[in-house]
Amino acid sequence: MKKIIVIIVTCFCFQVINAQNIEELKIDIIFSNKTKLEVIKKLEEQTSYKFFYINDWLDSGLISGNYKNASLNKILDDIFKETDLNYFISSENRVILTKNNLIYDHLPNAFYNNKNQKANSPKDIEPVFYDDNIVSKIKKYETVRIGKETKTYSKKNYTLSGRIINSLTGEPIPNLAIVVLNKNINAVTDINGFYTIRLPSGINYVETKALGIEEANKKIIIYSDGILNFELNESSETLKEVIVEANRDRNIKEVISGVTQIKVQEIKNIPLVLGERDILKVATTLPGIKKAGEGSSGYNVRGGKEDQNLILLDNAVLYNPSHFFGIFSALNPFTSGDVNIYKGSLPAEFGGRLSSVFDIKTKDASTEKLKGEASIGPVTSNLTLEIPIVSGESSLLIGGRGTYSDWVLKAIDEESIKNSKASFYDFIGKYKHKIDKDNNLEASGYFSNDEFSITSDSIYKYNNRLLSLKWNRNFNNKNNGSLILANSEYKFNIGFDGDVDTDFDLDYKINETELKLKMKYLHSESHKFDYGISSKFYKVNPGNIKPMGNESIIQAKEIPEEKALESAIFIADNYKINKKLLLNIGLRYSFYASLGKTAQRKYLKGEPKNESSVVDTLYFDKNEVVKKYGGPEMRFSVRYFLAPSLSVKGSFNSTYQYIHTLSNNTTASPTDTWKLSDLNIEPQRANQFTLGFYKNFQDSYYELSLESYYKKTKNTLDYKVGADLLLNKYIETEVIQGEGEAYGVEFLMKKTRGNLNGWLGYSYSRSFVKLNGKSNEERVNNGDYFPSNYDKPHDFSLVANYKITKRYSFSANFTYQTGRPVTYPVGKYIYKGEEHVLYSDRNKFRIPDYYRFDIGFNIEGNHKLKKLAHSFWNISIYNVLGRNNPYSVYFVTDKGQIKAYQSSIFSVPVPTITYNFKF
Amino acid sequence: MKNIKSLTFVWFILIIAFLNSCIEQIDIKTIAFEDALIVEGTLTNEFKFHKIKLSRTFKLEEEIMNVETGAKVRIIDDLGNNYDFQEENLGIYISDIEFRAKEDRMYQLKIEISNGKSYTSIPTQLTSESQIDEISAVREVDVNGGEGISILINSFNSNGDARYYRYEYEETYKIKAPYWSPYDAVVVSDVKPYEVDFVPRTKEEKVCYKTIYSEGIIQTETNSLLEDKVSNFSIRFISNDDFILTNRYSILVKQYVQSFEAYTFNNILKNLSGSESLFSQNQPGFFSGNIFPDEDNNEKVIGFFEVASVSEKRIFVNPRDIIENTPPYISNCEVVAPELESNVGTSPLIEAIKTGKLKFFQINGGENSPVIPIPGGPYQMVPVPCSDCTVLGTNIMPDFWVD
Repeated sequence: MKKIIVIIVTCFCFQVINAQNIEELKIDIIFSNKTKLEVIKKLEEQTSYKFFYINDWLDSGLISGNYKNASLNKILDDIFKETDLNYFISSENRVILTKNNLIYDHLPNAFYNNKNQKANSPKDIEPVFYDDNIVSKIKKYETVRIGKETKTYSKKNYTLSGRIINSLTGEPIPNLAIVVLNKNINAVTDINGFYTIRLPSGINYVETKALGIEEANKKIIIYSDGILNFELNESSETLKEVIVEANRDRNIKEVISGVTQIKVQEIKNIPLVLGERDILKVATTLPGIKKAGEGSSGYNVRGGKEDQNLILLDNAVLYNPSHFFGIFSALNPFTSGDVNIYKGSLPAEFGGRLSSVFDIKTKDASTEKLKGEASIGPVTSNLTLEIPIVSGESSLLIGGRGTYSDWVLKAIDEESIKNSKASFYDFIGKYKHKIDKDNNLEASGYFSNDEFSITSDSIYKYNNRLLSLKWNRNFNNKNNGSLILANSEYKFNIGFDGDVDTDFDLDYKINETELKLKMKYLHSESHKFDYGISSKFYKVNPGNIKPMGNESIIQAKEIPEEKALESAIFIADNYKINKKLLLNIGLRYSFYASLGKTAQRKYLKGEPKNESSVVDTLYFDKNEVVKKYGGPEMRFSVRYFLAPSLSVKGSFNSTYQYIHTLSNNTTASPTDTWKLSDLNIEPQRANQFTLGFYKNFQDSYYELSLESYYKKTKNTLDYKVGADLLLNKYIETEVIQGEGEAYGVEFLMKKTRGNLNGWLGYSYSRSFVKLNGKSNEERVNNGDYFPSNYDKPHDFSLVANYKITKRYSFSANFTYQTGRPVTYPVGKYIYKGEEHVLYSDRNKFRIPDYYRFDIGFNIEGNHKLKKLAHSFWNISIYNVLGRNNPYSVYFVTDKGQIKAYQSSIFSVPVPTITYNFKF
Repeated sequence: MKNIKSLTFVWFILIIAFLNSCIEQIDIKTIAFEDALIVEGTLTNEFKFHKIKLSRTFKLEEEIMNVETGAKVRIIDDLGNNYDFQEENLGIYISDIEFRAKEDRMYQLKIEISNGKSYTSIPTQLTSESQIDEISAVREVDVNGGEGISILINSFNSNGDARYYRYEYEETYKIKAPYWSPYDAVVVSDVKPYEVDFVPRTKEEKVCYKTIYSEGIIQTETNSLLEDKVSNFSIRFISNDDFILTNRYSILVKQYVQSFEAYTFNNILKNLSGSESLFSQNQPGFFSGNIFPDEDNNEKVIGFFEVASVSEKRIFVNPRDIIENTPPYISNCEVVAPELESNVGTSPLIEAIKTGKLKFFQINGGENSPVIPIPGGPYQMVPVPCSDCTVLGTNIMPDFWVD
């Protein structure tokens, strides 16, 4: 490491204070295509001036000039115009060249703390002073000088920009944090490795931090706007603290409110369920993201329905994000990179869902070294490999996960168990190829499969299949873009094998293909544009039922296919008005067309949709437009700094959703299906307002946020009493499109570093539905607002990790939630000779409150450098208190007798031990 | 090997815990009881005394139905005609006069219960008429593979304006006591020495008739069909082990043409109470019919006041012409011969006669008797229903009965 060069200017200045007053010598000189060195030599020959400099400073560029009766200043100004060099002419006819620095011959105005004399003219420039005591001497900082100090113009801050690439692969390094020490300034590289940071003039100690990337420490002495590119090496070992640093202050600075970012590394120590590290489960410990219950497969974000979340895995939609009734998430923890959950303001590039976007990225594999990670747990095992294909250019990540329950179950000599099934597996692969400096290609594929018996005579299977292709192109420093092609398919099948002649096979399938062009234009410091266009084609096979076996009397039935096209154009401007005020103005226009071939019923206008109000059936040809919907969606957010570490953010967000789920939330019913908007079912819409305050304490050790929101939804699907949805051709007659209202306050306190870290979240939130149709059958609870199925006012979570030593750590988490609403029987009656049950108003009662306490203990293998593999043990107990948390309570009439059932998932403490290793 | 076994065991425990904890039946208790009025009433185009039934909800854990007694019930039409009803039985209200619902009139049911609260139905019109064309009884195999008789309905309405049908039926079957005897055993002395005798029976106990009424909602619709035609709609399946098929059987089917609203109401009721599985759960909740409280709009009233045109048809069936296996008699008719005096000094025979558990069948053998004696007392006795059909039905032949 080079020795740190410190130049002390002040003393020198006093000696040369009168230098400029000496009468200047007039020089005649002609030179053409000479190097600067040659010109200096010539000047020394012709005049009495002596030059002092370092040869290396002078570049080999050729210059020409023709001066008559010119001052030395004039000549030197021209020579060094394009360089970092300054000169100083002393009284002894000495010319001292300096790199970057300017030698002053007078003290700055502010030197004697005379505050009245403010620098207000270009002449009153302030020299850059170095204060070098702020950095410990342990780290070595390479000094980099940016720009040339000028006498004529000086700013408080300069913009430094550049690109950070991996020195081995040449790939850009995205999400790399550039942190200025002790100054609370930082920046993050974009997807193409570009960064821009505003630095105060003078010395800045800058560190770069990113997962798996070697730290770079630079002492940047900045005199003007400039460019600094980094080439960084990968590092094999990463420290947990690094990640936190990368995120530092993001919470208060970012314009978009209601963003939750989860880093896989951060959740390493959280207690596990059956040995699986689960990124989405962690998400539910953060305020605003809930699950209706342990066994539900979807998420309710800020009082929204489960179907209102756009879950993207490498840009392709993941329709069912869970395995095993939602006990495990469908994401492989080893291959998942970061997850960004947008619950407040959605970026304009995303659309099609009302409540949130879960943007999940698979991490990139190493292009240099074969790496792997594996875990062995009681239920699942997981293996992930990072395989370099062409060194520095392309790599492949593959991960597989599966349960071994099935063959264990088969080995059991017990008839009832032998035939039961509970298994899943998933595979993920990501190939990344660098075509050249500006182009790279990513291809991802994902497949998951679940199979289980929910009752002894039925087998339920479902699978997700995702394929995506992304081409990133960097046009120039200001423009870059991505072209994305993604396809995803979700299907399920129910095989019923009970009484011989009622056996059936039921299928459902949804397939979508999206093409999206996303562009980024970094117009200037204050305007950054994102714009693009996307189009998505849906194909749904809503279901068919086939008799199974020869004896089955089940009638084959098929609901005709549905098709639709959903497109959007979007533009957003990240507009920085000043240091304090940042706006993000986004506009998205989405349009949707339901396509034939189909037959659609037309109902009497103003009448409830039912059998009796059918006036006509309209037939549409293949790809004929059945019905168009669309409209503008507004995405607006604003951030304002009230104080350096306190910001306030607000947003308004409007969204359209053209696809609906038909699900019966009263049980863990696995038969949720997706339905496209058509002639009779309108798209859902939502408007959300948010306001939040964000504060960081103690140098961002603590992050505090308080967010509030108010959301109105329209046309969300709900069900008529007694609705029968399975294989119903005329869904519109069974559903009601209602209004929704949700509001809440979310509080989150995070301690990001230290031996004890974790977070505490609390939210008070309500979610209501109003079903006030035209007739009795379309009216629920008298057409008044009532709590939705997932209205859980109080939600409290505490997640804490305590690092005992470097190798041992202890973690715990506690969750409390109000029980969810249910419709309860409140009496019996006899009608037409039969006993019936009178149900309460919908969702009038609640199941008991939910609470759970989990603990975990982590043991890291030893930290020997030359070890073959790094190992990690996790021992955890899920639900230590053994609380029998009911998921739902429901009622079934069986042979005239009403029976109540309670479903719960883990009613006993579940201990697990998992072994992980990495090589 | 040992490891695999223990792993298997761990798994076994896990799966058991998992599957068991997943769904469990819980005690059903009323958390909050809601008291509500239930109205059952169908005004038809038959000229008769019409009936309205009022009851109230009862708690989930209870078995006794609450009736609504002492209410004022009347039906009014849009011409101002008023038809009053009187409480005939607890909660059963019968019209003072015979009348029929007329076409083009709007009828409203008005109820005022004893506490002063009043309820009114939405004005309702008589539905279109549609005749039952044919009722047939055919052999059918049910979902469980059992043989039986299915009663099928065919009807056709050329106007196409009926569309929604509800059915009720009355079935009457003949009962022949298989161990009938013209004599009855009587006790002469119930103290020692015990003595019994037999005397001729005084009433008809060999052939009886029993009429039962349908329960629940049986309905169908033809709206999804091109023609307003009910074809072979099965309203009743009788399994071949049901004793009502032992002898001649008759069924009277009533076809009510319903309004769409009535059909929907009944359909929801049926959906919510039908046999369900996890896969076919319905959204539970309260749904109102067409009767509403006059004042408090939040009060729940259950029921639908129907004004329906009705048509009926009866058929007689000899089950043995249709199904192969004759159903067994209702009771297991084991012939026994209780001792007159047992070795402990009691009299099982007299005990059986006095408690009415057994009835005389024949003398237990004896000289010149063709009866093969069985060990025991003097008389062969059978359970009462095997010898006396009046415990199962009435010995009066219904007017309509044709043998």
